[in-house]
Amino acid sequence: MPLLPPRWRLLLVAIAALSLPILSGLAWLLLTGWFDQVHGLVPTGRLGPDNWRFLWEAVGGRPSVWIPLRNSLIFSGVVATVVVLASSMAAYAISRLSFPGRAAYLGLVLVLHAFPAVSLIIAIFFILRRLGLFDTLTGVILVKASLELPLGIWLMKGFFDYLSWEMEMAALVDGVSRWTLFWRIALPMVRPGLLALGTFALLSAWGEFILPFTLIVSNQNWLMSAYLQTFLGEAFTDFGMVAAVGLFYAVPVIVLFLLGQRYLLNIYGGGVKG
Amino acid sequence: MKGIRVRLKGLAKHFGRVVALRTLDLDVRAGEMVAFLGPSGCGKTTTLLMIAGIYQPTAGEIYFGERRVEHLHPRDRDVGMVFQSYALYPHLTIFDNIAFPLTLKKIAPAEVARRVRQIADLLGIAHTLDRRPGQVSGGQQQRAALARALVKEPQVLLLDEPLSNLDAQIRVQARGEIRRLQQEIGVTSILVTHDQSEALAMADRVAVFSTGELQQFAPPDELYRRPANTFVARFVGYPPMNLLEGRYEPGAFVLDDLRIPVPPGHPAGRGWLGFRPEDATLDGDVPGRVTVAEALGRENLVTLRIGPAEVKVLVPQGRRPAPGTPARLGYRREHVHFFDASGRRVGA
Amino acid sequence: MRRYAAPVIFLLPATCLIVAFFLAPVVTTLYLSLTDISVITFQNPQWVGMGNYATLLRDQFIGRIVLNTARYVVLTLLFNVGMGLVLALLSSSVHQRWGDQLRAVWLLPRILPPVVYVLIWQGLAREAPYGLIGTITGSSTSWITAAPWAVIVLANGLVGASFGMLIFTSAIRAIPADLFYASAVDGATTLQTVRRVVLPLLRWPIMFVTAYQTLSLLTSFEYILLLTDGGPGFYTTTVWSLHAYKLALSQYFGNVEFGLGAAMAAVLVVIGIVVSVAYLRIFNFRALVAEPKIEVN
Repeated sequence: MPLLPPRWRLLLVAIAALSLPILSGLAWLLLTGWFDQVHGLVPTGRLGPDNWRFLWEAVGGRPSVWIPLRNSLIFSGVVATVVVLASSMAAYAISRLSFPGRAAYLGLVLVLHAFPAVSLIIAIFFILRRLGLFDTLTGVILVKASLELPLGIWLMKGFFDYLSWEMEMAALVDGVSRWTLFWRIALPMVRPGLLALGTFALLSAWGEFILPFTLIVSNQNWLMSAYLQTFLGEAFTDFGMVAAVGLFYAVPVIVLFLLGQRYLLNIYGGGVKG
Repeated sequence: MKGIRVRLKGLAKHFGRVVALRTLDLDVRAGEMVAFLGPSGCGKTTTLLMIAGIYQPTAGEIYFGERRVEHLHPRDRDVGMVFQSYALYPHLTIFDNIAFPLTLKKIAPAEVARRVRQIADLLGIAHTLDRRPGQVSGGQQQRAALARALVKEPQVLLLDEPLSNLDAQIRVQARGEIRRLQQEIGVTSILVTHDQSEALAMADRVAVFSTGELQQFAPPDELYRRPANTFVARFVGYPPMNLLEGRYEPGAFVLDDLRIPVPPGHPAGRGWLGFRPEDATLDGDVPGRVTVAEALGRENLVTLRIGPAEVKVLVPQGRRPAPGTPARLGYRREHVHFFDASGRRVGA
Repeated sequence: MRRYAAPVIFLLPATCLIVAFFLAPVVTTLYLSLTDISVITFQNPQWVGMGNYATLLRDQFIGRIVLNTARYVVLTLLFNVGMGLVLALLSSSVHQRWGDQLRAVWLLPRILPPVVYVLIWQGLAREAPYGLIGTITGSSTSWITAAPWAVIVLANGLVGASFGMLIFTSAIRAIPADLFYASAVDGATTLQTVRRVVLPLLRWPIMFVTAYQTLSLLTSFEYILLLTDGGPGFYTTTVWSLHAYKLALSQYFGNVEFGLGAAMAAVLVVIGIVVSVAYLRIFNFRALVAEPKIEVN
């Protein structure tokens, strides 16, 4: 611990103080979700299971919460799968195969990685309409997966770069094609990368707001983010219930975060969104 | 079992502007074990990888028997290969590693198991089959890699520095085992190594490479007795051959103002005179002075300064002259080597 | 050619997606920005050349939007980089266990779904006696209406600071321990060590984080959209990217002007391309593309 100053206990206090806003935000969400009245961070009412009534009844003209939940599960699962597969395949080609234009492809991926994709949303709206995929889950899935690809390819290329060349030569001599080699040898050996990218893509898709907000209209296709957002715009918000919806929506994220934290620290440090 | 003749015709490999292999013609007999020997960067591994099909030749042809293979994918060449790092698949057990080439050929599982056990027994690693590569010793990994290469009964076995990651003791033992196994199976084998003792001990014939060119291709004893040029002379044999650069006059080799008498058959003009330390003596008539005397155990290695050059002489254990003492260099004339100015061998 | 069958197959899925949803949108943005396409002219848009850009220049609110954008980017950036540095220094100054906890806590805002994150802000910012901030400040309106800019910068900053934090932390870890011992032996205090040793070595990471976040802040509008929707009132917190989005896609305005919105987006797209190509130059790109050691596919 080379930078340990003499009064490091003071630093711990500073750290606790800095983290306070975030922790009190989480505390607020937990308390408000479970009590029917909260002042600041002090519950003043009773335990309020009524906050959770959205689980068994449709609230204010919205579809039942289970529909956006199902959509969000499908959306995140498929996005993560597509991102992991398409990125690994492309990254493997860039890292290990010999073909003309390899450097140019990597250059394109790097430029797109830094490029802010949100600025394309207007054009994406048009293209989805043209493809007949506007207001469909498939359309948003494809868009979301595409926007994660540059990061995914870049990340997986880093993992494939570390594979042993002799191992690949051995496999070729043993009689595999590059295709079989990819599935049977290369992919199992970059498992940590697949897990990191998969967790990241799951989290990112689960939280995604702008894309479904813009590209989906009918409430049968809503994701959880759109469902929750409709509560935020109300004039007299029932904060108890909204917080319960928020908790319900955020719990999988917190679980996944605790499970995949080690992998995620790396990937967020590798440069994602500002 | 099957062994096949391997022929390289006009084989060359360039990486961009770098010439890794100039032009190589080589004929490996069926069932023979040939070693590619040379310092790193000499083109020996490049050649091996072209035979395996990992690299595409820039020019030339490769024949397995009568079949031209240089355009074939590695999987269609029927070769087995052992790598320096062994390149075992870390996520598979030793059994699955060895079985891997067979499972690709759609062989029945029972037959796969039988063949894996058979080769594992032959190599003495049957008890490690359930473990992962990371859980067995370096020697066992090396045998597993060999088993994986042999299990599909290839026509050609390629060995790329297969022993250099082993401890010195196991290495000498493994050398003998590989050689015995290769002769039993009769598979045509090519061994790449930078270790001359390995090449000389294991191979029927040795191809010496330097800077992308074949220097000599001959059985070990011929390489030693009749090196084709000064590179081979210097590279093969330890301690290395003494090579003096000077001028030949009738009956003598002239080094500055020193005249060393030589037997007939020598070239004329500028050239090299070579003799091995074990063929040199301290009882001759060329005047010199001892600079160093090292004990090697069974013998002593004495370094002499004669004129502008230094010469090494192996002498029996009893003699160890002190540095500074005068000595008179001699050599066994029947074991002298003549090279012309370009370094090429002259005479028998 | 059969030789390149493998790379084609491997690259096919990613390439299709990239072409459809990156490259085609870039071209589409530029194309739309040169037409008068809107709800009315949707079926039959007319080519107007640079007309939309001229309209933008004449717009009486454009100056306000540019100023808003500058304020949003600069203030958030200062918070992100400054807080990122403080967090990285603090978390690498204490025992690793505590440092890891701190970093995990600060990653949470980034990982929480944005809508949940904004919900928490709305709850905390409520008027007294409900909201924590309202109670502390004794405000009788939501803090989001009372001080929208403070909320926007803080809300974005708590998310953005973790980016700098992680990058600076790994840069600090990469500093050889000997340097710290040497400066301790030379009699430097901890603060002196930070100023004379650590900060100069962090120059490149700081520049990287600044450049990267400038670009993404310039184009991001998610949290503003959710927090204030550009208000309160008239354009109070409307930034360039949000305005472009609303012009083209907002469901609340009657006349949706895709062309005009696309022109604003096109400005961002061009800036984005220029800056990201510049990154590629600054990166040592050649070092990233070593030749494969296997020549067959």
